[in-house]
Amino acid sequence: MTSPSSPGHRQSGGADWHASQGTLAAYAAGEARGTVAWSVEAHLTECLQCRSALSASVDADRLAHNRSVLMVRVAIGDGGRVRRALCRRGLPDHVLRLLAATPSLRWSWLLSVTGVLAVLAGEAAAVRYGWISAGGPRPVAGYPGPEVLVPFLLATPLLVLAGVAAAFLPMFDPACLLATAAPFSGFTLMLVRAVSALAAALVPVLAAALLLPGPGWLPVALLLPSLAVSAFALAAATVLDPRAAAVVAGILWAAPALLLAAAHLPLLVVQPAAQCACAVVLCSCAVVLLARRDRFELGWMR
Amino acid sequence: MDEMTLNVSSAAVRADGLSRRYGATLALDRVDLTMERGITGLLGPNGAGKTTLLSILATVAEPDEGRVSVFGLDPRNAAERVEIRRRLGYLPQELGYHRHFTVAGFLDYVAILKEITGRRQRAEEVARVLAAVGLERRARTRIRTLSGGMRQRLGIAQALLGQPELLILDEPTAGLDPEQRLRSRELLSGLPGDPVIVLSTHQADDIAAICPKVIVLLQGVVRFAGTPAELAATAAGQVWAAGERDARAHLSWRGGDNVWRHIGDRPPAGAELVAPTVEDGYLLLSQAAGAR
Amino acid sequence: MRRGAGDRDDVALLRAVARGDEEALAALYDRHAGWLTIRLARRCGQPDVVDQAVQDTFLALWREAGAYRGGGDVAAFVWGIGIRRLIDLVRREGGQRYLRARRAERPQVVVSAEDQVLAGIEHGYLGQALADLSPELRAALEATVLDGLTCAEAAVLLGIAEGTVKSRCHRARQALRAALAEPQAGRRTQPHRREVWGTS
Repeated sequence: MTSPSSPGHRQSGGADWHASQGTLAAYAAGEARGTVAWSVEAHLTECLQCRSALSASVDADRLAHNRSVLMVRVAIGDGGRVRRALCRRGLPDHVLRLLAATPSLRWSWLLSVTGVLAVLAGEAAAVRYGWISAGGPRPVAGYPGPEVLVPFLLATPLLVLAGVAAAFLPMFDPACLLATAAPFSGFTLMLVRAVSALAAALVPVLAAALLLPGPGWLPVALLLPSLAVSAFALAAATVLDPRAAAVVAGILWAAPALLLAAAHLPLLVVQPAAQCACAVVLCSCAVVLLARRDRFELGWMR
Repeated sequence: MDEMTLNVSSAAVRADGLSRRYGATLALDRVDLTMERGITGLLGPNGAGKTTLLSILATVAEPDEGRVSVFGLDPRNAAERVEIRRRLGYLPQELGYHRHFTVAGFLDYVAILKEITGRRQRAEEVARVLAAVGLERRARTRIRTLSGGMRQRLGIAQALLGQPELLILDEPTAGLDPEQRLRSRELLSGLPGDPVIVLSTHQADDIAAICPKVIVLLQGVVRFAGTPAELAATAAGQVWAAGERDARAHLSWRGGDNVWRHIGDRPPAGAELVAPTVEDGYLLLSQAAGAR
Repeated sequence: MRRGAGDRDDVALLRAVARGDEEALAALYDRHAGWLTIRLARRCGQPDVVDQAVQDTFLALWREAGAYRGGGDVAAFVWGIGIRRLIDLVRREGGQRYLRARRAERPQVVVSAEDQVLAGIEHGYLGQALADLSPELRAALEATVLDGLTCAEAAVLLGIAEGTVKSRCHRARQALRAALAEPQAGRRTQPHRREVWGTS
């Protein structure tokens, strides 16, 4: 490597070349001439001694400050793989971090939901394929008696409701007082969490419903009831105590489903008439929610 | 930072006739108070209504009656409430943490709630508060593995995010060992920007050490508002030291120097008058309140 | 150049970082952040952008320590990451970019007489030829040759078009070749200087 006119010094052995004190000082001050600077830089990558000498001339406070911020950034991290993928899709970073605090978006929760649904769907499938006897009348066309679908129909919107409830119930947010006392809009926070909990819960629901041996439109038919029940719980939370709101919403679905099952008409609960009812409930609850969104800013200390 | 002009009213924080009831209990009974910049101590036993009062000031709860004004802003107005919250740092008495969070992750989360957008600014703020409470080396630790004292310090740290103008700390020194309490005092007295700091405690020596102003709250009523010296002075002439216990005194206990200290208006035999401390004044007030 | 024990330590530290040891990252920071700050500051005049680039560099190291294949100095590896982080920032920040005071016009570093003689005799030609280049040509050459950037990256850093980078490098090389081809007596002459001074 040719060293253009750079004032350094050679050791007596002639093997090593180091930049002199003056040169390093000038370089650190940003006053080294072009060729001198080039030479110093090319040398730096290979010489520990000159690097250390140079490092000593940087402002220690500045280095310490950067170090502490660096370690904080390392500690905060950039989230798991899912978050990074979502970030690249354009979702703002701070929204994603808010979601990290939502219990119903943790893998443990999602896995348990998937587990429950798998059990229910699996049981229905087992009956379909004759591994378990279902009892009751067996219609033609290869479908099992609709009774076998009852547990699944009953449980699915309730599971989705549970996920959404975990997103806004204060007992699931240990730091809810901080969230209330902070300027970030409580309504936005709740929406962000509820919508993502909903989306996350619907994935295993739809997957399980597809595996379910029933009418082909069943997976889609479960969407509206799930949404309606969740929206009702959120709207009711602006009027009632949030836990009571979630319970009432659950009963509002469980009661008709059980009654219709007892009357041997379980699928009626997802038929078009019921779908319309769900749509009406969904829309009216959305309106109530928007009208009373201030309630989410006030905290739950009643 | 102050885009909104401050009200002409001189007091930074003012409460008029605050009342709050929980079921049958009257937690606050027509409380009036004012607070200025600097540290104000709120002294009172458990159940006196300190937490209720602080949560009302922190806009987290609403009073049944009365009005609050923080920097001239009214929390009943939604927009002004958000503005108060922008200038607020709050440490509740029972602060829960998402236990799977790391220290830095939790602070980052709170920073987002405080509308510090921008990853860079958040990291800088988090680094700043961690250094202030001495938890820099714990940035990556999970909260569930922290000791109680460290969790308390973390709570103080999150309140400091965003350099609030109003710091409301509910029992910030609970669970801290004496050295950490000293450091907290140092920290609170040295905050830049001269914020309004309200801290509640039931330990009189914390008050005496750093609070230029004390408010004593007993059974939901303000019994005293003034300087610690004035509080001590209310017990003037009623504190005695003697070699042995006198049963007729209101209160007596033996100090570490083997001298019995008595509070009462009848001097025990052979006792000598001693200078009252803040604690004596407080004890006397609680006695009086208890007697009512 | 002899690689000392220091470099072996660096490789060990890098491997520790790849395993998730944050103390090792802190140690790497203590060793390399200083010179990195200065070297980046020569390419960007804004101290807070430089600070940010340094932080980003070590964050990238934290994530990608495993990418180091042991085929070079750790310092060069760090520099490679650092300069690219700086370019990323400059590209994102836009606005005021590569701010470099015109060092050529300022008083030069004081060189000892002995070093001057040494430099003059042994490395006068190339050094002088480089020094005679205009700052723009020299900057383009520095970015591509010394920093090892692609023309696209150099363009972002210097705040000029990619085509301009290529043409400036070409002219710089032409000028150097011309300067070295002429027989030198150790001191440049005025006509020679005018010939190589140019901007594009």
